[in-house]
Amino acid sequence: MTYFSLLSINGLVIGLIYALMAAGLTLVFSVLKVVNFGHGSLYMLGGYASYYAIGLLGVPPVAGVIVAMVALFLFGVVFERLVLAPIYSDKVERKDEYAIIVTFGLTILLTNLGLVVFGPFSKSPPAFLHGTFIAGPLILPYDRLIAAVIAVIILSGLAWFLARTSLGQALDAVSQSRDSAAVIGINPKRMYTIAFGLGSALAGGAGALVAPIFALSPNMGELPGVQAFIIIVLGGMGSVGGSIIGGILLGIVQGLGVGFLPDPNRALAYTQAFGALLLIIVLLVRPTGLFGRAHMRLE
Amino acid sequence: MHGTFRRSHGLRALLLFAAAAAPFVAGPYWVHVGALAWYYALLAASWALLAGYAGQFSFAHVAFAALGGYSSALLTLRFGLPVALSIPLTVILAMVLGALMGALVLRLSGPYLALFTLAIAEIFRLMLVAEEDVTRGSLGLQVPGLFSGGSDVPYYYLGLGLVVLALLAMNGLLATRVGLFLRAIREDEHAAQASGVNTTLHKIVVFVTTAGLAALAGTYYGHFVGILSPNMVIIPEMGLVVAMAVIGGIESLPGAVVGAAIVYGLSEILREYGEWRFVLLGLALIVVQRFAQNGLFPMVERYLDGRVAPPGKSRVDIENVPKMEGEYVKPS
Repeated sequence: MTYFSLLSINGLVIGLIYALMAAGLTLVFSVLKVVNFGHGSLYMLGGYASYYAIGLLGVPPVAGVIVAMVALFLFGVVFERLVLAPIYSDKVERKDEYAIIVTFGLTILLTNLGLVVFGPFSKSPPAFLHGTFIAGPLILPYDRLIAAVIAVIILSGLAWFLARTSLGQALDAVSQSRDSAAVIGINPKRMYTIAFGLGSALAGGAGALVAPIFALSPNMGELPGVQAFIIIVLGGMGSVGGSIIGGILLGIVQGLGVGFLPDPNRALAYTQAFGALLLIIVLLVRPTGLFGRAHMRLE
Repeated sequence: MHGTFRRSHGLRALLLFAAAAAPFVAGPYWVHVGALAWYYALLAASWALLAGYAGQFSFAHVAFAALGGYSSALLTLRFGLPVALSIPLTVILAMVLGALMGALVLRLSGPYLALFTLAIAEIFRLMLVAEEDVTRGSLGLQVPGLFSGGSDVPYYYLGLGLVVLALLAMNGLLATRVGLFLRAIREDEHAAQASGVNTTLHKIVVFVTTAGLAALAGTYYGHFVGILSPNMVIIPEMGLVVAMAVIGGIESLPGAVVGAAIVYGLSEILREYGEWRFVLLGLALIVVQRFAQNGLFPMVERYLDGRVAPPGKSRVDIENVPKMEGEYVKPS
C-alpha cells in the first residue's frame, strides 16, 4: 500500500509538471489553432535557461524557474513574430501544414543546437532544497515537493489570469472567434503573439522545474513532448482545465503502471505505447477529448 | 504547351543523366552514399504525394518503410521465401495496412492527422523494440543481400531505377483525374465532395499507393544495408524525410527527389561538422517554408522557363484590405 501511495504521489508530481507543459501547448492551440510540434524543445530550452541562470548569474534555484519563463516568453514572441506570423495573412495557403513544418523544424534546430552548444552529456542544476519531506508513510524529496508546489502556483495563476483579467478574457475571445474579437476592438495579432509567448513560457517553466529532478539533456523534450500531445488530446484540445486534469491523470496512471507490470524491459516499452494508444483511441472515438469545448470541435 | 521544349525538362534529363553516370566517376564510398540517398528519395517523393498533393500530413511514412524492411527480411529468414516473392508480398501487405490506416483517418485532418500518425509510428517503433524474439529489438535484424559480390553499384542502379519508376508511376497517376481530385481534396475536402469527388475512395487510394512505395523503399533499404533496427522509425528520421521533401518541393515529386539527394549528399559532405549539419537542416527547413513554400526545385524550374509568379497573385497584403465577409468556417 505504501509503495503504491508513493508511486501515485510521484506520479502526481510528474503529472503536475506535464500539466504545466500541456497547458502551454493547449493555450497555443486554442488561440492560434496551431499544434506546436516544437513544444518539447522549448521545455528543454527552459531547463538549460534555468541551469545557466543559476550557474552563471548566480540566481537562487527557484528564481531560475522565473528566469527560464521570462527567457522562453521572449523566445516565443520572437519566433511567433518572425516565423508564425505569415499564417494569419493570405501568403500561406495551407496553414496547418505550414505550422506543423516550421514548428517541427524548430525541434530539429533546437535539439541539435542543444547538442552542439550544451553538449550531449547530462547536466544537473543544484537542488531547490536538499533533503526529504517525510509525513507518515509519505516520503518525497523536497525537490519534487517544491516543483509540485510551484507548478500548482503557476497553474492557478494561469487559471486566474485567463478567467479574471481582461487580457486573459481577450485571449479567450480570440480563441472562440478571431473576427468577432476583432470587432469588439481586440487585436488578434497581438493576442497570437502573447499566447505563443505564454505557451513557450509554460513549457520553459516545466523544463526548469524538472531540471533538478531529472538531469538535463538536449533530447529531454522528446518524451514529454509526446506526453503533452497525449494530454491535450485526452483533455480536449484547447481546454486549459482539461489539460491540467489530463496531465495529472496521465502522470498517476503511468506512475502506477510501472508498479503493476512484470517483465521490466517489455513493460517500459509498452508503458510509452500505452499513451500513444490512448491518443489514437481518443482521436477516433471522441476527438473533442474529455473536456473539449464545443467551438474547438474537429472540423 | 505540349511538344514545346522547356528548359526545365532539359534540367530533369540532365539530372537523370548525371545520376546514371555518377558511379563511373565517383568512388565506392559515394556510390554507397548515393544508393542510400535513393532510399530517402523514394520516401520523400512518395511522402510528397501524400502530404503535398493530397494534403494528408502523415508522420507514419517511415513506419511503413520499416514495416517493409522487417516484413521482407522476416519472410526470407523465417519462411525461406525468395526475395522475388517476399518483396511483392511485403508491398501488398503494406498496401492493405495503408488502406486500413487511410480508412481510419478519413475524418482526421491537419494537426489531428499528424498526431494520429505520429502515435501510430511510435507504437510500431516500440513494438519493434519490445518484441525481441521476432525482431531482435535494438540489436538489429540481419538481412540477406540481393546481389553477390561486395560492390554497391548494382544497388545504386536498382535504387535509381526504383526512383525513376516510382516517379513515372506517380506522375502517371497524377496526370489522370485522380491527380486533380487529390488536389481538390487538399484545397477543400467538403467542396470536392460537394462537386462529386469520391473523397473516401481517393484518400484511401493515396494512402495505399504511398504506403506501398514506402514499404518498397524499406525492402530496398533492408536488403541493401543488411541490418534493420527500430531506429528507422525515430522522429528525427521522419524529420529528415519531411525536410527533404519540403526543401526540394513538397508539391513537386522530382523536387522531393532532388531535395533528398541534396540533403543527404550535403549531410555526408559536411560529416565533420557533426550536429551542426542538423542545426542547418532545421534552419533550412524553417527558412524554405517561410520564404519559398513550394520548395527550391520548382523555383529553379520556373526561373529556367522564364516564368515568374505573376505579381500580386496571392500576395495581397491582407492587413490593408477591408474584410468583407465573416470568418470562413468549413461546414462540418
